Amino acid sequence: MIRLKGVHKRWDRPVLDGLDLHLERGVVWGLIGPAASGKSVLLKTVCGLEKPTSGEVWVDGQEISGMDEREMMKVRRKFGMLFQNNALFDFMDVGQNVAFPLVRAGGVDPEEIEERVASRLKAVGLSGSERKMPNELSGGMRKRVGIARATIASPPIVVYDEPTAGLDPVTTSKIYDLLRAIQDQSHATVMAVSSDINALRTFVGRIAMIYQGRIIYDGLESELDGCQDPVVHQFIRGELEGPL
Amino acid sequence: MARPSRLLLDPLGAVGGAVMDIATHLGAVVTLLVRVLRSLVPPRFDLPELWRNLYKMGNQSVPIVMLTAFFVGGIMVVQSAVFMKRFQATSLLGWGAGYSVLREVGPILIGLMFSGRVGSNNTAELGTMVVTEQIDGLRALSIDPMRYLIVPRVLAMVIMLFLLTVLGDLVALFGAMLFGKLIIGLEFGVFYAGLVSSLGVSDLTHGLVKALVFGLIIALTSCHFGLNVKGGAVGVGRSVNSAVVGSALGIVLSDYFLTYVLT
Ligand SMILES: Nc1ncnc2c1ncn2[C@@H]1O[C@H](COP(=O)(O)OP(=O)(O)O)[C@@H](O)[C@H]1O
Ligand SMILES: [Mg+2]
Repeated sequence: MIRLKGVHKRWDRPVLDGLDLHLERGVVWGLIGPAASGKSVLLKTVCGLEKPTSGEVWVDGQEISGMDEREMMKVRRKFGMLFQNNALFDFMDVGQNVAFPLVRAGGVDPEEIEERVASRLKAVGLSGSERKMPNELSGGMRKRVGIARATIASPPIVVYDEPTAGLDPVTTSKIYDLLRAIQDQSHATVMAVSSDINALRTFVGRIAMIYQGRIIYDGLESELDGCQDPVVHQFIRGELEGPL
Repeated sequence: MARPSRLLLDPLGAVGGAVMDIATHLGAVVTLLVRVLRSLVPPRFDLPELWRNLYKMGNQSVPIVMLTAFFVGGIMVVQSAVFMKRFQATSLLGWGAGYSVLREVGPILIGLMFSGRVGSNNTAELGTMVVTEQIDGLRALSIDPMRYLIVPRVLAMVIMLFLLTVLGDLVALFGAMLFGKLIIGLEFGVFYAGLVSSLGVSDLTHGLVKALVFGLIIALTSCHFGLNVKGGAVGVGRSVNSAVVGSALGIVLSDYFLTYVLT
């Protein structure tokens, strides 16, 4: 479904440095790594929001890094994306935000859109919030609106960038419950980035770690604790002593 | 703090750096202009957004521009009334006020006002959208930020500044007429006669062409600095600052050239 081959991305310094990755359809994949290690850049490269400096990015059998913006727009329709900063449109209310992917896709009549928005908001625990503006919501509520918007059009690939950043532990658990419930219905291919490793591990089947622009670990979530790489070892235990 | 010392220690380098900086921004603004023009033929942009922006920008700027224009007209009279009276040339007051307001003072002051009010707001809005990833959010939903955000804003600003200049010219002349009556007792009729007898359509178009160019400069500059915000909320503040300074510089420099070209 998604394949990266030797992807480099650099601005003033290399951020992704020859990164390879392969995700099969329907996999729920988690990504961890230190701050500013390129996790968000990796997700945006997969969605075609950033172009790699070199290397290949394959999505659903198409190589996208050579595409122009117009072709890329067709590919992006396969993605639902929750951004690290939520990226809710602050000039639209919650209902319009959540409805937006459906409105854009076209071919869905207004009553059905309204119904689907209502049921999606109910699923994320925000029934009746359609007319609120994003700036009236708390951080956790905004995340949930972002999740509702990312998943309403049932995209085959869903990308979550820090779905629980800045949230308390209880809200974090609720959000992951929500993601699991959505996943049980949609069976999408999922890429999720989180700094909250333990909570992320309850959600994903496969987990990877990015460090210095490369994937240094990628395997079953259940085997992560057995990983002998000293960087991974230190990072997942949060130890002070070590290479990091 | 770092700036002055660099200017002292390495004056050539500092000046060279500033020139490079300006050249980079100028290049980016021209690129933006080309992209805007390309979305205009054939016209592919969001019409409701254009209306929304016209409405909002009008609301933001009409009162303040009218107030400024009125007093600018007044000040022109206050400044010149003494001399006009001494040389018994008060009948020239209408011509003098009209000439300078229509050709120079009107477009420039209204342009600067507009840049401070609408341009800076535009930069802050776009900058915030960049920082909060809303622009990426639009692209992720297959919306071209160019057509959806930038082109409607650029058009709205050009149109709005043009209209404001027409309106502002009228208000400034009205202000001049009123102050002429109050300060040196010049009859409205005399002022008006001085205005229409010696001013031509060319004086009006001269100023309005300037208004169009200034509008484009403010629009492109404010969009450019908004779209290129780096570094969170602090970055937004910095960009707003650069946009206002850049627009003012652009207005003054282009005014110099336009005055040559148009006369
Ligand atoms: N548009 C950009 N321009 C320049 N540098 C960028 C840009 N986007 C990201 N970076 C840099 O890439 C690095 C990785 O960023 P990011 O992927 O956001 O990190 P994280 O792993 O915390 O999500 C950072 O050092 C950041 O400064
Ligand atoms: Mg990130």
